[in-house]
Amino acid sequence: MSAIHIHQLQKIYKIHEREAGLGAAVRSLVKRKTRDVRAVDGICFDVAPGEIVGFLGPNGAGKTTTLKMLSGLLHPTGGEVDVLGHTPWQRDKEFLRQITLVMGQRNQLVWDIPAIDSYELHRVIYHIPLDEYQCTLDELVDLLDLKPLIHKPVRNLSLGERMKCEIAGALLHRPQVLFLDEPTIGLDVTAQRRIREFVAEYNRRHKATVLLTSHYMADVEALCQRVIVIHHGKLLFDGDLADLMRRFSAYKTIVVDLAPGATAGRGAGALRPYGEVVNYTDGQAALRVAKKEAAAITSRLLADFPIHDLTIQDPPIEEVIEQVFNAG
Amino acid sequence: MSYLRIIWIYFRLGILSELEYRANFFVQLLESLLGLAVALGGLAVVFNHTDTLGGWLPEHLLVLVGIHIHVGGIINMVISPSMQRFMEDVRKGTLDFTIIKPADSQLLVSVQRVEIWKLVDVVLGLVVMVVGMVRLRAAIGWGETAVFLLAMFCGAAIVYSFYLILSTFSFWFVKVENILVIFQSMYQAGRWPVGIYPDWLRFTLTFLVPIAFAVTVPAEGLTGQLTPQTLWLAVGIAAMMLISSRTFWKIGIKYYSGASA
Repeated sequence: MSAIHIHQLQKIYKIHEREAGLGAAVRSLVKRKTRDVRAVDGICFDVAPGEIVGFLGPNGAGKTTTLKMLSGLLHPTGGEVDVLGHTPWQRDKEFLRQITLVMGQRNQLVWDIPAIDSYELHRVIYHIPLDEYQCTLDELVDLLDLKPLIHKPVRNLSLGERMKCEIAGALLHRPQVLFLDEPTIGLDVTAQRRIREFVAEYNRRHKATVLLTSHYMADVEALCQRVIVIHHGKLLFDGDLADLMRRFSAYKTIVVDLAPGATAGRGAGALRPYGEVVNYTDGQAALRVAKKEAAAITSRLLADFPIHDLTIQDPPIEEVIEQVFNAG
Repeated sequence: MSYLRIIWIYFRLGILSELEYRANFFVQLLESLLGLAVALGGLAVVFNHTDTLGGWLPEHLLVLVGIHIHVGGIINMVISPSMQRFMEDVRKGTLDFTIIKPADSQLLVSVQRVEIWKLVDVVLGLVVMVVGMVRLRAAIGWGETAVFLLAMFCGAAIVYSFYLILSTFSFWFVKVENILVIFQSMYQAGRWPVGIYPDWLRFTLTFLVPIAFAVTVPAEGLTGQLTPQTLWLAVGIAAMMLISSRTFWKIGIKYYSGASA
C-alpha cells in the first residue's frame, strides 16, 4: 500500500493572453484569448510509507503544482491521485489532519507575537488533546533547539530561526505525510544542515512519508535515496539518486597533486593532452575527462608524472541534474 | 463548540498582538472620543433648529448614534480586518495555509484577524446607547429587548454576509480592496436614520449597501418604532444573505482550486 499514488496526473491552466499595447488591453476586457498551459502532464509515481523522496526540477517544471494537487489545494485536470487512501481535493478533515505543507517562501506564524501563541491556534484547529500537544511540542523544541526562540515575537527572529519555528508549527499535529516545498530556501549553510538533520530524524522516529523539493542539492543528497525529476510537467527520471548520477554524469574530474618540477616548467600546458584543465594552481590540477576514459587517463597520468596524490571525483550533482534537464 | 473555541483563540491572538503596541490603545481612545464628539456635535447642530428629525427625538438619535458606533466597532474589530487579511492572502498565496486546515475555511477567514482596541468603540457605543435610553426614560420590557437583540443579530448577519460577498470576488479579480472602501464611506451615512434621506438614497442604504438593517432597524427596535413587517423583512434578508454568501464562498473556493475551470 503506497502512501502516495498518482497516475497520469494532469493539470492544465488556462492563461489569458493578449498582445502588447493599450488597444489590445481594451479589447481583452471584452474578449479574452486563452491558451492552455500544461503545468503537469501525465505524471505517474508511487511513494511508500516512510520514504523520503526528493522532487527535483527547474523553476516552472510543475513541482509546486504537483505538491498542491497532492495536498488538496488544487483540483487536477485529469488522472488519479490518492494520498493515504484519500482523494486530496475533497479535503475531508480526516485527510487534512494527516498531512502538512511547508512552503519556504511563505509563512503562517503571526508576526507580532511569539510562536508559542500561534501554536495554540494550531492546537485548537487540529483538535489536539492537551497532553499529546505538550508531548509533541517538547519533542520538537528539543529536536530543533527552539527553547530560546518560541517565546520571542516572530518578527524578532532571524530567517533561519523563523523557519525552524514554522516547521515545528506545521508538525504539531504529527502528520504522516509531509510536503516540504523549498524548506531551506534563503537559509545559511548551518541552518540548512540543521533542518536537514531534523527532517531525517523526524522521518526515522515517526516513519513519516516526506516529499521534498529543494534547489540545494546538499539537501537532496543528505535526505533522499530516491529522486523524481520532472521538467515541463513530464517525468524524466524516477529512481535512486546514485543511479541518476551514474546514468547522467558524462564526465569525471581527476584531481592530481604533482611533485615539484613534474611539468618541467610547462605548467598546465603539460597536462592539456590528457583532458580539459579546469583548474591549475601551485602544482595542483583538476582535469575534466569523459567518464569512460577516466580509468585509462588516470593510469597514463600516473605513469607519465611524479604524482603525490590523485583523486577521481564525480561532478557536482547540480551539473548532473542540469544534464538530465537538457536530455529531456 | 469548537467554532467558539476558534473564535476565542483568534481574539486571544488579537489581544496578544496589540499588547505589543500599547501606544495604539491611546491613539484608538483618542480617535473614538473624537468620533463621538463629532457625532454629538452634529446632533446638537441639527436639534438647534428643530425638535424632531423625521419623527426622531434627540434621545432617539442618541440611541442611534450609540448603535452606529457599537456596530462600526464590531465591523472594524473583526470583519473588516479579517476580510482585508483574506484578500492579502489571496494575492500572496498564503490562503493555501487556511484552506489546508481541517476546519471550515469560511469561519477561519472571517475571524482570522482581530484588532482588539476597536473594542473601545464597541463599549463606547453601548454607553451612548444606554445614556440615550436613560434620558428617554423609556421602560424597556423583555419584548423590546428581544426585538432589539433579534434586529441587531440580523443586522450583523447582513453586514457580515455583504462583506463576505464583496471579499469573495477577490478569488476572481484579486484586487478588490477598493470595494470595501465604498462600504466604509457608505457606513458614515448610517449615522442618521435612513428615513430622512431621499428615496433613492434610502433604497441604496437599505438594499444595495444594507446599512439600514445594521443601524436604523435595531435603533427603531429599541425605541419602539419598529413595525413587525420591517422586523420580518430583516429576518428574511438576513437568512437569505447568510445562505447566498455561504454559497458564493463555496463557489469561490472551488474556483480558487481550479475545480470549476
